[in-house]
Amino acid sequence: MDEKELMARLAALEEPAVLATIVAAKGSTPRKTGARMLVGTGGVIAGTVGGGCGEGEVIEAALELFRGGGPRTVRVDLTDELTSWSPAVCGGIMDVFIERANPDHFGGS
Amino acid sequence: MNPSPARIAARVLEALRKGERIYTAVVTDSADPGLIGRRWWSSGRRHGGTLGSPSLDAAVAAALPALFPPGESRGALSRDFEYRDGGRAGNARVYIELHGPPARMVIVGAGHIAIPLARLGDMLGLRVEVLDDRPDFAAPERFPEATAVRVIDFRDPFADTPLAPHDHVVLVTRGHSFDYECLVRLLRMARPPHYVGMIGSRRRVRATHEQLLRDGFTTEEMGRVRAPVGLDLGGQTPVEIAVSVAAEIVMFHAGGSGVPLVEKERVVERFFGHRSPGTPSPSTRTTE
Repeated sequence: MDEKELMARLAALEEPAVLATIVAAKGSTPRKTGARMLVGTGGVIAGTVGGGCGEGEVIEAALELFRGGGPRTVRVDLTDELTSWSPAVCGGIMDVFIERANPDHFGGS
Repeated sequence: MNPSPARIAARVLEALRKGERIYTAVVTDSADPGLIGRRWWSSGRRHGGTLGSPSLDAAVAAALPALFPPGESRGALSRDFEYRDGGRAGNARVYIELHGPPARMVIVGAGHIAIPLARLGDMLGLRVEVLDDRPDFAAPERFPEATAVRVIDFRDPFADTPLAPHDHVVLVTRGHSFDYECLVRLLRMARPPHYVGMIGSRRRVRATHEQLLRDGFTTEEMGRVRAPVGLDLGGQTPVEIAVSVAAEIVMFHAGGSGVPLVEKERVVERFFGHRSPGTPSPSTRTTE
């Protein structure tokens, strides 16, 4: 999904969603600054911030925003996993900003 | 009310539809939690929202020209800014994006190479336009990915194709005299496209440069032309040549070296004391 498609998806959202944006990336991260992902209550709706490399951590943090959490920056450090056999062996650090994509759809919370 | 990401996305899409540049900014970190998530946007003379502090809005607006070169149509970065409003002062990290009309890949010469090149240009997110003086070749059905296919006159090839500094022009016409006509026009533009490539063998490229010199161009001007165009991949077919041109355009923007990563990183050699596999260059190849 390219940037414009994700923008169109974001503009037309009809269910509550959280937007995750890579706002800074250092080293060998799979996606660069500006990459976006939309997360719904059931998981990823569209886009990616890097697949296996740290994405799970971002999704977890994004889901907290449905339970009342506020916007914040999540630092994903992929440098300390080099010796593990996890698929997240990338070797970079990225800051991912997570926020409610459409606060007016979030009900009373 | 703070504009939501969904609102901002709608505004960005609207700006792009109108062919306008738009900047969007959001506070991603600050000691004052009330600022985090506050947004501001600016397009032409219009702007809206706020980063939560008038001086912060002003600081970001003032920094934009230096942060995003006029030739670029896309950008995304984070910077720290100071703000001071009355008794309130502090720092905020702001994430800023630039969205502009996509840069173009203008392919002059609608032959064999143009077909795969148009496809690759489209995949790279460029707006593809194809020009040729032969109506049979400059036919829209041959280039479904192109936003424009024009029949032109080589005496004034860019008459209907105004070019901007962030555009890319690839000259792959059927004859070097046509490429030459285009080249002269491009080099004489007040604000020429930043990427101008011309296909050709070393001999033909040399002949072109000799002609440019005779026509009064300086070696500095000649050096602005990427000829022969493309990276040295060794390919021969139209698709392979198109890949080499597309790869050079990626490198041009991303700032890479074009060297195979295995040779650049040399992981096995560096960390394991053994020359890494891959294709050693002839100068380093050892004989058994």
